Amino acid sequence: MTEILSILRLARNDFSYFFRTKWLMAVLLSLNLSDMLVVALVYNKLMSFDYFRFFVPAVVVMGLFVAALDTGRRIWLAIGEGVIHYYLSLPISTFGIVVAYLLAGGLAAVVYSTALLLVALVVLPAQAVWSTFILLPFIFVLAMGLAGISAALAALSSTHGEFFFAYQQIVQTLLLTLSTVFYPIEVVRKYLPSFMVSVVSANPLSLAAEAMRQYTFAGQPVQPFYLLNILFASIPLVIVGAVSYLVVLHAIQVKGKL
Amino acid sequence: MRDVVRLVWFDLKQELRPPVWIVMEWVTFGIQLFVYGAIISQLVSGISNYQQFYAAGFVVMMTFEVGSHSGRHFVEHAHDGLLPYLLSLPISRSKLFLAITLQGGAELALMITVPLIITLSLIGNLTAISVVAAIVTLFCLGFGIAGFMLGLSFIAFKSSDVYSAVTIVMSTVVIRFSTVLYPFIFLPPSYASVAIFSPLTYGADLFRLLLGFDPSMLLSPTVAVAVIAALMATTLGLGMFLLQRLVEGVKSA
Repeated sequence: MTEILSILRLARNDFSYFFRTKWLMAVLLSLNLSDMLVVALVYNKLMSFDYFRFFVPAVVVMGLFVAALDTGRRIWLAIGEGVIHYYLSLPISTFGIVVAYLLAGGLAAVVYSTALLLVALVVLPAQAVWSTFILLPFIFVLAMGLAGISAALAALSSTHGEFFFAYQQIVQTLLLTLSTVFYPIEVVRKYLPSFMVSVVSANPLSLAAEAMRQYTFAGQPVQPFYLLNILFASIPLVIVGAVSYLVVLHAIQVKGKL
Repeated sequence: MRDVVRLVWFDLKQELRPPVWIVMEWVTFGIQLFVYGAIISQLVSGISNYQQFYAAGFVVMMTFEVGSHSGRHFVEHAHDGLLPYLLSLPISRSKLFLAITLQGGAELALMITVPLIITLSLIGNLTAISVVAAIVTLFCLGFGIAGFMLGLSFIAFKSSDVYSAVTIVMSTVVIRFSTVLYPFIFLPPSYASVAIFSPLTYGADLFRLLLGFDPSMLLSPTVAVAVIAALMATTLGLGMFLLQRLVEGVKSA
């Protein structure tokens, strides 16, 4: 019970740190809102189909993704600035620290993307807003998975901290471009080889963007199998992230440094 | 001049050992152009070859980012305490300013060489004069943006957090409300009235005109040349003034 309370306290601390970072909020909001209200609208005039309707739900998922990725920056900062030693001295297990970070990362991403969703609902009429509540737990697990990727990157670059942002940018670009966030799968099929199309289809960002488009905005009935797909795509990422971070914490505990 | 070169190298060597950021920018450009640009090009019906249009826009966007990074770098120096050291060196302020400017120019050259070569080969059928003029345009734009960010550094002397927020939000808005990603004629009137004030609108349109894009979807080159030249002259002048008069004894909060 004490362990759970400690995890929740640590998670709350990390969660509030995300929203207190002014420059980060400025970056994320300006980026996502301008994508939604400027890029989507102008591209709509350049294309022969309703790109605005296609892209706006995906911007919510992009927001979820970039907010979840910030977990890695916070882990990287904690390692770099030595705050991690303070965390390790707390009456909480190393596994508890990892869980707290992933919970906070997932929750911060969900809260942030919910704010974007509210803006999206104002500019784009939704057929089944209530479907979002069914999606929410799955989106939360996905956010934890994305936070896991970021944690793994922070762990990977923990000995060369300055490379963290470089790795993160490449991963972010790859995951976004190789997804159906920006373009429909039919167009991807015409251009990319079949194995790449499989990667694009299995990408958790593609799954979440499609779920947001079909269930929340188009109003189609929620398919449980599709939600399980999101879950199966996300859980391995959570595990990889948790294990990577655990390994780093263990190394710091044993050697005192990395 | 040796002092200036030594100062340029002092900063630049950190970027080159190892050149992770430079390679990362090239890889990002490759992914954006050959995956995103190529696929989205199949959806765009308003422009004959959107991939080429996007490649040119992405190079301009990179120029903007390197330029703004050079300006922000100066503030980082103030924040890290390196600025007082630079100011205490036995060189004139004008030489120090020249070193900062050249360092930004060298960084820009390193970052955009590969993307520019790829873009030029993708577009093809270019004359040497148009290529040189396009490169000059990019450098003028880069220096102008760097000077602008340097001019904004007075905010950082109050709060570096606010400075980061202001410059990053501005960067995002300046890029989105410009012709970097789409031609001016496709912007809704309310957005076009904002885009007309963005220096990137003129930089991107002039760059594209020199690379042979359809002039009917670009802004007047005379106005673009005037805006880019004015931006470079005024913001570099402002940066020079700042370095001569204002930075003595200041510390980024």
